[in-house]
This record gives sequence, structure tokens and C-alpha cells, in this order.
Amino acid sequence: MATSAFIPANTFLHRLDARSKLIALLTILAIAMILDHPVYILGLLGIVLFSWLAARLPLNFLGNIFKYFSGIALLIFCIQLFFYPGEIYLLHLSRPIPLIGFSGYISLEGVLYGLALILRLIVILTIAPLLVMTTPLSELMLALVKFKIPYRFAFILTTAMSLLPSIQNRAELIQQAQLCRGVADFEQGNLILRLRASASLLIPLILGAFRDSQTLEVAISSRAFGAPVQRTYLLETHLRPVDYSLIMASGLLLLFSLWIRWG
Amino acid sequence: MKDERSTTQNTIDQPSRRWDVKGRILGIPISLVVIWAALFVTASAIPALPVPGMGGVITINAIMTAISGVVLGPAAAVANMAGGIISMLLFPFGAFLGPLSFLTVTVGGLVSGLLLANRWKLAGVVELLVVATWFVNPDSWQTLMWIVPLPYTAVTLLVIFFPPLRHWARKQILSLDRVRIWPAMFLYVTVAHSAEFLTTNAMVNWMYDLSWQYWVPTWLYWVSVDTVIIVISTIIGVGVLTGLHRARLPHATEIYR
Repeated sequence: MATSAFIPANTFLHRLDARSKLIALLTILAIAMILDHPVYILGLLGIVLFSWLAARLPLNFLGNIFKYFSGIALLIFCIQLFFYPGEIYLLHLSRPIPLIGFSGYISLEGVLYGLALILRLIVILTIAPLLVMTTPLSELMLALVKFKIPYRFAFILTTAMSLLPSIQNRAELIQQAQLCRGVADFEQGNLILRLRASASLLIPLILGAFRDSQTLEVAISSRAFGAPVQRTYLLETHLRPVDYSLIMASGLLLLFSLWIRWG
Repeated sequence: MKDERSTTQNTIDQPSRRWDVKGRILGIPISLVVIWAALFVTASAIPALPVPGMGGVITINAIMTAISGVVLGPAAAVANMAGGIISMLLFPFGAFLGPLSFLTVTVGGLVSGLLLANRWKLAGVVELLVVATWFVNPDSWQTLMWIVPLPYTAVTLLVIFFPPLRHWARKQILSLDRVRIWPAMFLYVTVAHSAEFLTTNAMVNWMYDLSWQYWVPTWLYWVSVDTVIIVISTIIGVGVLTGLHRARLPHATEIYR
């Protein structure tokens, strides 16, 4: 299992502080939800794709995302294309079919709205990988702590990530053991067999991990977890002028999109 | 000597520190929450189960979310949220709901966990908020859209707001009755799963504006998928809870009994 999606490089995006990138991500997500005209969302997608290229991230990831979600994108587009109640008719297809809510026409509004939703889907799918692939996990975690999320939650995130390899190893061992016993086949068989296989994996996996948690509990308690101390961090980050500029640009873009939609 | 006396005096004046409370989240040891979050992420990487002929998938994550409330109580919301965030950071390519994907699993664990902790009013408020999020969307008032959340949300609302059923289910889960735990677990798993899928549906509807032409024809398909997830989660939930009890490992039913 991958323990990080980060791709190291020395680009403008990689050098930005994780906090400013997180704010920009949330802003773009909000703008994608606020705007509903394809031209505006296309502009937003342009920013995302330009950032993707500027960060020198592999383009085949984008291709895989588009390939994986092409089916649902087509479905979303078709629903708006055939059923959106528009007024400017582009194409007459048949008589109205009230049973399925089809007016018999394809409208301009339906085409535009369908395109807007597909572009929104692409923006939403590409924005999270852009952040994760340009920011080391340790910096992301530190950014969350700097955003004043409770320390206990940050501790859960970091400790759970450090435990992943051992839990993954345990899962593989259980899978192998169950295969040796002939109890389950995780790769083949019908639905019932696969579901039985998931039960034979999950139950021992959870019980074993809970047993190990007692060792973790002792380690946590012995280090006086929760003691009121002034925390220091191995890694320190500081917002630079370029980070402040990005945060301000995100804020202005958000205000502009609110004005476009409701102004 | 003087220094020792003053130290003792200070110790007496200060309120006693309870490290055991500090090391817990909503009554559950933080180590269990950590372990559950790690298990959740691992489950995200385990190959999903296909639904024959329909092109859909049943993820192991869905099973983890469904049983999380019974195992961890309300702390399941925190564990699921952490697991969901880490999953999004490690596998960002399949997040259909984008960076907000973790919300669905958080709500699922929260509602069933609150119910186990006998905070049924709070569980009811959260569930009603989820239902409202679905019905506030104008698309939800289209033809037959009311049937989409109906089957399992109706069961969930019944479990939360019908006291005899609520008390009975909770009693069976807490007492680990060998026979009656099965229907009780089915009800709890239904509560968690229905809260999760209704949150997902509401978010999908707000983000992608899917109309009744999508939801109504696929209704039977989704009900059958949900049924399979709930049945499997019931089997796994009973196995996990019984195993934890026999191994005398800490879990939510030990705390709320």
C-alpha cells in the first residue's frame, strides 16, 4: 500500500506553505460549487490544470482519473441533456414522453448545465490530488495543527499513518493464512464466497489490532499523554509573502464568484 | 525542607490531573481510535466486492463504517473521520465527493455511536439534519424521489424515536445475548449505514444535481446493494463484538453497559 502520494520536485507549488495550499483548495472547491456556467468553471479548471503542469506532475494520473470517471460524467451529462427544463430548443428528437419527463427537445440550457456539471466533477476530482502530490504528509499534518485542530485529533492522524504498514502486513498475513486453510478465496468465486472471505479477514484483523492497541495504550499513558505542556515541533513552517498573496487571491476569487452568481 | 513543604502544599491546592481521562475520546481509549483509523485506511486498500451484473462495488469501508458505532460508540465518528481524511490523502484519485468524502463515514459512525451511548436525542437531531439535507434540495421533490431514502431511513428513524425498539436493541447489544444480538446488530448496522448513504446521496445531489431520472430507475439496485452491505456487516459486527468480549478487550459496550 502506498504510504504517500507525494511526488518530490522543486517547483513553485511544492515550495508553497501547506496552509496556503489548503485554503486555496477549499476556495476552489467552494467556487466550483457556487458557479454553474461552464465558461466560468472552465476558467477554474484552467487554473487547476495550469497548476498541475507547473508542478510537473505526471499527466497520466489525469488520464486515469478521466478514464475512471468517464462513465459517471457521461451519465451526469445525459441526464441534463435530455431532462433539463430549458427554453431555447436546439434539437427536436421526438414527441414529449411525460412518463420519463422528456420534453422531446434538447435545450441549450441543458447542454450548458450538463457541461458545467462535468467540469465541476473534473475540478473536484483533480484538486485533492494536486494538493496531496505537491505536499509531504508531514507538512500537511503540521498545517492541520497550525490551523488549531485539536492536538488529540492530529495525534490520531499521525499515529494511525505510522501504524499503517504493520496493519497492512497483518491483513496480508491473515489473507494468506485463510487461503492456506481453504476458508476463503479473496480473488475468485461468486459474491457470497467473496463476502464470506471479507468476514474471515475483517474479524481476525480487527481483533488482532485491538489486542495490539493495549501496547499502544501503555506507551501513550507512560508518556503522560494529555499533560499540559508547551508543544514544540521538529518541523517548522512560516507563511511567506507569496503564501499571503495566494490566500488573498483565493479570497478575491471567492468574492468575485459570489458576485457573478448572486451580484 | 522548606522547599519540600511548599511543593506539597502546591500539589494539594491544584486539582488532581486525571491522565486516564486525557487519554480518552468520548470514553474510548485514544489507542483504540488510532487503531480503528488505521484499520479503516487499510480497508480502503482491500479490493472491493463486485455486485454481479450491475457494475457497482461494495467496499470494505462501508462495512467498517456500519459496525464502527457499536464497537467504539460516539468516538467512531472521530475514528472514521481520521480514517477518511487519511484515505483521501493516500488515495486521492477515487474521491468522487472530493476533499469532503470523509463527512459521510463520520456521520455514519456518529449516529449509531450516539444511539449506543443512549444519546438518542442527539442521534435523532443528526439523523433529521441528514434527512433535511436531502429534502431541502428541490430535486428531492421530483417524481417519486421520496422513495430513495425511504426503506432504511424509515427503519433508522423508527429505531431512534420508538422507545421500546430503541431500548430493546440497545439492551441486546449491551448484554451480548447470543440469539437476540443478531436482529439488534442488524438494526444498529442499518442505522449507521443508512446515515452514511443518505449523507452521500444528499452530497451527490447537491454537487451533481442528479434528477429523478437517475435515482428512481436505480432505486432497486441501490436497495439491494445496501441490503447486502447491511447483512454482511451484521455478521461481521456480531463476530467482532463477541470476539472482543471473549478476549476481554476494551470496546464501547463494556463502557456503556
